[in-house]
Amino acid sequence: MRIHRVAVAVALASMSINASLAHEVEEGKGTLGKVSFANSCDAKVQAEFQRAVAMLHSFWFSAGEKAFRHVLEDDPACAIATFGIAAILMNNPLAGQGSSPKGAEAAQAALDQGQRIGAKTQRERDYIAAVAAYYADFANRPERARQASRAQAFEALAARYPDDDEAQIFAALYVAGTQSQADQTYAAYLKAAATLEKMFVKYPDHPGIAHYLIHSYDAPPIADKGLPAARRYAGIAPDAPHALHMPSHIFTRVGAWQDSIATNRRSADVAKKDNDGASAFHAADYMIYAQLQLGRDQDARRVLDEFARVSADPTTQAGPYAAAAMPARMALERGDWATAAQLPQQGSRFPFCDALTTFSRALGAVRGGNVAAAETEAQTLAVQHKALVDAKNNYWATEVEIQRTAVAGWIALAHGQPDEALRLMRAAADLEDRNEKHIVTPGRMVPARELLGEMLMELKQPAAALVEYERSQLREPNRFRSIAGAALAADAAGDRAKAKRLYARLLELARDADSPRPELARAKTYLAAS
Amino acid sequence: MRARRRWLGVAACVLALHGAGAAPSDDADNQALLQDQDYVAGLAAREAGDAGAALRRFDAALRRFPDSADLHNELGFAHRKLRQMDKAFEHYKRALTIDPRHRGAHEYIGEAYLMVGDVASAEKHLAALRSICVLPCEELTDLAKAISEHRAQAKAR
Repeated sequence: MRIHRVAVAVALASMSINASLAHEVEEGKGTLGKVSFANSCDAKVQAEFQRAVAMLHSFWFSAGEKAFRHVLEDDPACAIATFGIAAILMNNPLAGQGSSPKGAEAAQAALDQGQRIGAKTQRERDYIAAVAAYYADFANRPERARQASRAQAFEALAARYPDDDEAQIFAALYVAGTQSQADQTYAAYLKAAATLEKMFVKYPDHPGIAHYLIHSYDAPPIADKGLPAARRYAGIAPDAPHALHMPSHIFTRVGAWQDSIATNRRSADVAKKDNDGASAFHAADYMIYAQLQLGRDQDARRVLDEFARVSADPTTQAGPYAAAAMPARMALERGDWATAAQLPQQGSRFPFCDALTTFSRALGAVRGGNVAAAETEAQTLAVQHKALVDAKNNYWATEVEIQRTAVAGWIALAHGQPDEALRLMRAAADLEDRNEKHIVTPGRMVPARELLGEMLMELKQPAAALVEYERSQLREPNRFRSIAGAALAADAAGDRAKAKRLYARLLELARDADSPRPELARAKTYLAAS
Repeated sequence: MRARRRWLGVAACVLALHGAGAAPSDDADNQALLQDQDYVAGLAAREAGDAGAALRRFDAALRRFPDSADLHNELGFAHRKLRQMDKAFEHYKRALTIDPRHRGAHEYIGEAYLMVGDVASAEKHLAALRSICVLPCEELTDLAKAISEHRAQAKAR
């Protein structure tokens, strides 16, 4: 083993590139971070090769694939470039969808080309074999099996070349890619993070390490661990669109709204410039969500107006989701039930996008006093739920089930059935706690547990409401409505000290608010009278 | 009748959601199953009442989708129709291990227990469905009805 490690170190040191060609900026082509992927390709392609690897690490797939193919054109003996092409064609390994059949075909062609060229070193042959493990028998294996093979192959690669830090980093990424939605111990994420944290100390400017750390901590109980990487990533690779948006996944989890607004503004601008409407909408939804938590309603309105003139690909979910979510958030976060009840249906091809509008309309109707309209919306929601169940889209079916149950709870409350209302609303909150938030959204339209708190307040149970508001903030901290609701509940429950603290926190959170929200007026009055 | 309605619904929604973009990883395979030729042929055979043919096609699909709760549920159903109760229970239990909230598997294993006269076990799955189906669901209604009818028949005997 020791001999093997020494041999590998010697082999790496003998290559033409090594660390000497690690670079940060290629003049005139933007900053993508420092990457040093040892390889045996010609000296003339080194800069572009490293740049392509940096793009791969920042999931800049279209540009990265072009760059790897360009390397191959300039140095037809550079077999390891085919590893890069095949790795890119697996798409975002953390999104679960994997390569398309067409992408798999193109990847296999690249891998075959790599075989024909013949990599010059065993290590390069092993990289190509590791990525090929994902594509093996592609048509006959489910994505989870492909993910498992990929993780296993890259872990074996990392074990075989313990001094190859790129191998360690890729192995960590693909281990994180096996994280199941159902596992709330986040075992795969944390295993990946353990490797990446060590690497982050060694390579603080590496785009992949910071990026993958963000993904590995993108879950409520562990999100705060991702803050150092989130704060660095946009600075490491400011010219990669994904690098500008990704930090906001962590900022949203921890309620760092100013940071989220700033990075998403940049991300949306870059995406618009690149005519990438879906990414622009996605960033805008995260931005509006953050602005509304700060009471910056006019800013949020301006973003909404700005995006009325932007179009996004209707066949990918990010655009239609954000297009439906943004106006709904504007209404629900401000308790504008009348507007919520009248939200227009976008009519997307995704039932879960349409369902969020239906949910918002139902909630707006029932809380605005129009129970009959809410019941009609509830029927529509049931149809949208069934469409998702039939299509085996279980994740989104569960999300819509949560919405249906919450709406049924508020309808029961309107019909004077408080016990049934609470039973339903509690069930919705419990179910939501077990279903992780999807990466397409910064957060649900309204957290179910926060809605439970609001229902308990309606039922004059402030102590119980306070408990639910506080529980809600464990998973979704720093939300304006949660803090305002908790303050009201604390006061009504007789805990004036806590109410004061919460109102002070609300005023601090919304110190730059640009709209006269009634909760802020109440907070000022309360504190002045205390 | 219900199975038929579901099958038509599935066919429509496959078209509607094909290419829906990134879904959580556990759903990517669920949706891939809907496009698997053996699975689709198995569903068609089941609808035509040919449990043997359905079983063969579902078994073929199992090689590609060994961890699909839906597929194990279908295998359980096909074995049940063929009165191979041990195998039916094996697949239903596997489906519920993979997805403890699988409504169809709870209903069908409950009905399978009724077929072997084990009402107490059927009641356990009815209780599970009561906790899963916060809003009314047809799996709960159908199993409750089946248990009630089973009890009535037992009383008549």
